[in-house]
Amino acid sequence: MTFRTRLLIAFAVTVAVAVSFVGAIVSTTTRRAFERLDQQRVSALAAQFHQEYFRRQREIAQQVRDIADAESTRDMVIALSGPDADPSIYVDAAQPLATAHNLDFLELVSASGSIVSSAQWPARFLYQEDWVKQRDDWNSREPFLYPEELPTGGALALISVRVATVGDSKLYVIGGQSLGREFLQSFVLPAGMRALLYREPQSMDAALAPLIDAMRKQHGEVTRTIQWSPDAASAETFHAIPLMGPAGELMGAFLVGSSRAAQVGLERFMVRVEILVAVGGILLALLVAFWTTARITRPVEALAAGARAVAAGDWHTQVQVHSYDEIGALAAAFNQMTRELLEQRDRLVQAERVAAWRELARRLAHELKNPLFPLQITVENLQRARAGQLAEQASGPAQPDEFDEIFRESTATLLAELGKLRGIVGRFSDFAKMPQPQLETVDLNGLVHDSLKLFEAQMWAAGVELRLDLAADLRAIRADPGQLGRALQNLVMNAIDAMPSGGVLSIRSAPYEGGVRLEVSDTGQGLTQEECDRLFTPYYTTKTHGTGLGLAIVQSVVSDHGGKIGVDSAPGKGTTFCIDLAA
Amino acid sequence: MRLTAWLPLAAISAFAICAAASRPHYGGTLRVEMRAAPAALDPAAPDANALRSLVFETLVRLDSEGLPQPCLAVSWQHDATAKHWHFTMRSGVRMHDGSPLTPATAAASLQALFPGVTVTATADAIAIRANHSLPELLLDLAHNGWLSTGPFRSTAFEPGRHATFAANDDYWGGRPYLDAIEVELGRALRDQLADLELGKADVVEIGPNDVHRAREHGRTVWSSAPIDLIALLFAPASPGHAEDSPLREAMALSIDRAAMHTVLLQKQGEVTAALLPQWLSGYAFAFPTAPDLPRARALANALPSAARTLTLSYDPAMRAARALAERVAVNARDAGLTVQTAPQNPHADLQLAAVRLTSLDPAQALAGLAAALGLPSPGPAESPETLYESERKLLDSFRAIPLFHLPMLYGVSSRVRVAAPPQVTCLGDWRFDNIWLAGNAL
Repeated sequence: MTFRTRLLIAFAVTVAVAVSFVGAIVSTTTRRAFERLDQQRVSALAAQFHQEYFRRQREIAQQVRDIADAESTRDMVIALSGPDADPSIYVDAAQPLATAHNLDFLELVSASGSIVSSAQWPARFLYQEDWVKQRDDWNSREPFLYPEELPTGGALALISVRVATVGDSKLYVIGGQSLGREFLQSFVLPAGMRALLYREPQSMDAALAPLIDAMRKQHGEVTRTIQWSPDAASAETFHAIPLMGPAGELMGAFLVGSSRAAQVGLERFMVRVEILVAVGGILLALLVAFWTTARITRPVEALAAGARAVAAGDWHTQVQVHSYDEIGALAAAFNQMTRELLEQRDRLVQAERVAAWRELARRLAHELKNPLFPLQITVENLQRARAGQLAEQASGPAQPDEFDEIFRESTATLLAELGKLRGIVGRFSDFAKMPQPQLETVDLNGLVHDSLKLFEAQMWAAGVELRLDLAADLRAIRADPGQLGRALQNLVMNAIDAMPSGGVLSIRSAPYEGGVRLEVSDTGQGLTQEECDRLFTPYYTTKTHGTGLGLAIVQSVVSDHGGKIGVDSAPGKGTTFCIDLAA
Repeated sequence: MRLTAWLPLAAISAFAICAAASRPHYGGTLRVEMRAAPAALDPAAPDANALRSLVFETLVRLDSEGLPQPCLAVSWQHDATAKHWHFTMRSGVRMHDGSPLTPATAAASLQALFPGVTVTATADAIAIRANHSLPELLLDLAHNGWLSTGPFRSTAFEPGRHATFAANDDYWGGRPYLDAIEVELGRALRDQLADLELGKADVVEIGPNDVHRAREHGRTVWSSAPIDLIALLFAPASPGHAEDSPLREAMALSIDRAAMHTVLLQKQGEVTAALLPQWLSGYAFAFPTAPDLPRARALANALPSAARTLTLSYDPAMRAARALAERVAVNARDAGLTVQTAPQNPHADLQLAAVRLTSLDPAQALAGLAAALGLPSPGPAESPETLYESERKLLDSFRAIPLFHLPMLYGVSSRVRVAAPPQVTCLGDWRFDNIWLAGNAL
């Protein structure tokens, strides 16, 4: 992954994380604000409920008291107390009274507990309401909740009981109002809120059952969130206010529902905005990052390209960076480095050239000094022989045979030494004139056998054992057989020279990476690491004789064939040359 | 004249005035209202029953005991087999068109009504001959063969709205006290009662729950015999549970008739579990009327829950119908049945029906009730025992659940006086030729 890609990803992730973080904070803050607002609205509605409840209690108590204290009620008490009382004439008495006093429920119950008249259920006349006889303190009791039975089912009623008494006779007046739809409609409900009444043991939506159960257990107000459908917008927060009967039993509940649709809608809108902002931000970040990283990475890429050029050998590479930041400093340092490398290389080349010349001079001096000394001795012998001849001729008759013998020997020596000199000069000349290889298909194993034939006598004389390990399936290669054979001969000759006391010469050939590998090993005394490093340097030799051009020629041949040569050697462990050639 | 001489004279004058006020006298128009709205003054039309006796008469009529009394026929005889009857016609009777009522006229009318018999007329009599016994001929003649010789003549008739009758000066029984009778037709019970209390009407129909109120306000209440049978009637073709006999029995056993009779009907009429009223059959008490809630609950609980729900229809124009239906629903609820009441629901499982007796002959009355209720024909009844058995069989299926027998009730203003009863016959026919208006004497 490129540096630019990493920078782009880093920018995008940073923007996305930042937007998400901000979005999460805003969402959380909004949700809490909604919850606070919900709580306030629910509290306000609960307060409104309590206020309305107490108001109705007072109103019902007053209305029932008015009915019980009315003169017509007293007449009724008197009429019903006689031995020939006919309650049937009052069967319709409750309805007009209930209407006049704004009561939903009104029952006139005789002292025996039988209903004389019922406004809410006229057909229940003469039915027993025994519970009303169980207390004597009705006139001092506050209105209370009561499960009223109706033809259409049950209803939760807020009722008051008063006892109209005339002498020993009495009539129970039970009046009240329904806590139903009309009661709920008296509340001012904000948008998104609703009020419900639950009546025990009314069946209700199963989703509300846990709320009611929790209220039953806690005997107090409970708040729960009800999920009506998988859609989160259907959620509704319910606050349940228990409605207790006179004995503390749960009669029902006032439920305040607050829809979360608005909150969910706003949250969804915010999420959409966040996504849009994030996407936009990421795109913008990518654009900015692309432009920024381009400015940042362009000098870096130039530096990388310069480094690759330097690695490829172009030490003249200079990076054009026009910034004054760290990258600019790095580019300047790079340029400085390449310049210094060039200077060092030039100095090194010059030093190596000087060293080479010195080595060449030393080698020439060494090579030439050997023939020159016999030449000088021979010439001096020849001069001394001539001077002796002349002295003899002056002192007596000369002895021409001795001088002639010396002369012949001397000239023969001179010619021999001159021949050596010419051979030395010829080898130097050959190295300087190394021709381009003429490639043809060559069987490397055959070339090995041909070359070894030239050294059979020499190996036998030196006590060198030959071990061949040539691959039978070795493929032919494209090579100049003359140059490659000469290189192989140089390696064999070096190996024989390295084992003056005998040893093992091993030659192995094998397929290698689509080409061939040829290894020539000896069991000589080996080379040091420094000797290995300089082994292919022209005119360098570890032998007391030789021009130091053999391995240089081998390296030159291998290099001209597109191959490479390496040496593996350590003191006391012999030396192995490894040549890899392409097929 | 000295004051002491005037005092006896004043006392005598006051006595005379009081005596005149309480003595029948002629004149005045009687204002009557009724709920029925007959389209024609047809004596055979059921909704014109009350009006027909003002205008029409028969050879015989029934008294308050249901016994035949002379009317257009002054006497009658029959042979031992009751196949041959001889009616001596009243003389001097004129039809409302002024023509005399001759035996030939009456015979022609009867012949048309009774095609299976031979009706012949003589100078002053009618002879009826049949090949079979005619033991109920007098009852038949009391309800059929109407002739326009009544105490009042129809002077105007607006179908369904208004009828006016004038006194028949040539009435054989003497001119009625009233000059005229104006009848408002199709008036609701509540409006009738209001008109009575406001002095706009003299005679109105009232419901049983209005009796106490009417009397409390000084009105007189006229009553017929308990002739209206109030019953619960299961629909014969009602699908599903309505065909279930245990359901019907549970329904019958759940009803507390006494409470309804005491409160809703204010003890008017009589509680019954029989089709025929006690005063007519004499055995109605043998049908138990008390509820049996434990058995009703047991029967209801054995039913599938879906079969325990019923719809009850009632006619809102019927007296106390809604209150009765709702009370029935309350009683049924105690037995574990759910009854939903609705006015005039043709698809209801059962209905609160009112059926009027059409005959004072128990067998004919039972047959008429059975026919009106859609029950099987009870068959001939030779004796009270066989009649009882027939009625018991009719009720065994609980398809009809008798509740009450109610009388026709009329609220009468204080200015209406009765010279000689009955002013309403046991079957509810009006007999207004003997009433007079007190206000006209002043």
